[in-house]
Amino acid sequence: MWWKTLSVLLVLYSLAVGMFVPLKPGIAYVSPETARSGDTLRLTLHGYNTYYTRSRAEDIRAWLQYDSSKAILGQNLKVLNDTILEATFQLPADLPRPSPSVMVNAILDHPSDGVSLLPSAVELVRDTANFPAQRVAGGSWTESPVQNLHIIKDLSFPYRNVIYESIRNTFYHVPMWFALMFLFAASVIYSVMFLLGKKLDYDRKASALAEAGLLFGIMGLVTGMLWANYTWGAPWSNDIKQLMTAVLLLIYLAYFILRRSFDEPEKGARLSAVYNIFAFASLIPLLYIVPRMFASLHPGSTGNPAFGSEDLDNTMRLVFYPAILGFTGIGFWLAQLRTRAKRVEDRMTGLD
Amino acid sequence: MLLTLLHKELLLEFRQRYALSGIVLYVFSMVFVVYIASIKVNAQVWNVLFWLIVLFASINAVVKSFVQESGSRQLYYYQIADPSMLLLAKIIYNTLLLLTLSALSFGAYSLVAGNPVKDMPLFCLTVALGSVGFSIAFTFIASIAAKANNSATLMAILSFPVILPILLTLIRLSQIALRLMQDTSYQRDIINLLAIDAILLTLTFVLFPFIWKD
Repeated sequence: MWWKTLSVLLVLYSLAVGMFVPLKPGIAYVSPETARSGDTLRLTLHGYNTYYTRSRAEDIRAWLQYDSSKAILGQNLKVLNDTILEATFQLPADLPRPSPSVMVNAILDHPSDGVSLLPSAVELVRDTANFPAQRVAGGSWTESPVQNLHIIKDLSFPYRNVIYESIRNTFYHVPMWFALMFLFAASVIYSVMFLLGKKLDYDRKASALAEAGLLFGIMGLVTGMLWANYTWGAPWSNDIKQLMTAVLLLIYLAYFILRRSFDEPEKGARLSAVYNIFAFASLIPLLYIVPRMFASLHPGSTGNPAFGSEDLDNTMRLVFYPAILGFTGIGFWLAQLRTRAKRVEDRMTGLD
Repeated sequence: MLLTLLHKELLLEFRQRYALSGIVLYVFSMVFVVYIASIKVNAQVWNVLFWLIVLFASINAVVKSFVQESGSRQLYYYQIADPSMLLLAKIIYNTLLLLTLSALSFGAYSLVAGNPVKDMPLFCLTVALGSVGFSIAFTFIASIAAKANNSATLMAILSFPVILPILLTLIRLSQIALRLMQDTSYQRDIINLLAIDAILLTLTFVLFPFIWKD
């Protein structure tokens, strides 16, 4: 069948492209991380995946940026090697906001590498002791706003702090949940058809689809734990999303236990079809109402940036959507194989 | 019809007095275990233990709804009455039973472990909403489990994941009633709870006709 070949190709494509396309150049860290207002700051920027030596130092520009209109341009840029670069910043005597300290972003514009940004790179502390005397010295916040950037369009994934290379997990962790939802939805549709049509084959399909969905749930949980270990510091932190996922898997494990606890196959099929529909409906509060009531580290929950359009750039979309289709296709293929196996089993035991 | 069926359930209970007295004994032994196991119960622990007692007592109270009468007698009921009315009567009866049970548990529990509730009307509302939610979910699951061979085990396995969203919302609401956390928008939680109840109740009515027929 064409769709099985297509799914395998799409999964292979997402594995190959997702794993081998490099990340965009980025700033890993800067030193020092704090400075006083009015100082002359010699800042060292440490790059990741960067080739600083490919351009002349005069063409590279660095900023410490507070917001879209307030920034300081770095002077005397010196490229030490491909990943280390130094720049001097004349910090104004005043902070852009009347507060004891502000966080500023480091932005680097490189003709061949493109733009890289480190959010909240340096903390600027108000120098209260020398404040009136130094007021005249230093640069100003509004003289050199960030502009005329070199936007490089190439095949690379965004560089993001905290997640770094693990951004590739987006192509494997998220599609698992898409596949799971498609498989469970299909399973419920077959359960409804069984209740209306009373064909034992519908029940086999429903349970096979639920089995495949459960497998994807376990894989989603495991890929999520890998990601959590890297970004949250521990594979399991009793985050509400993790707990609700565990409960989701419990519901379907209960479904399989229910299937096995009847003597008559028709009765068992009917009651497990009913439970399948009931369980799927109770997923709605489990996945959409409860997680909103509790704090969570997971993206898309309260207090976190949503997993939305701004988290996926166009290069990622090239891998993400094919991965969803591919993994869902593999899931349906697995379910089809399980259905056939069940059919053979039932025929051998004389149930059908 | 509904009233007749409800009357039948209550009469059965009143004549046997088996369920209620057993459950009361269960609640008191649970409370007593709590009393001897923990010397000092703070409000946080009080809250969690209270809901655990109510949860387990509720499961034990509802699990017998469909097994206490024999299969042939139930078939007779389904012939003379509308099955969904029968289910509704059982849900209402179980709600009343669970309300009594929660009140008893609360009384006995606060006698031995103290009463840290600050906002009594909200707490009572939470308990009432909890009884309704537990009653709908457990009655439905009991009707499935009663058809299987090992109904008591199955009841626990099937109902826990389904009841969890309700239970989490209830614990959160009663935390607010105990002033363990500040939340001015708890009305949203109440609406969530009502929405979950409405979903479960609708499904129960749609799906029950497929359960009772054998």
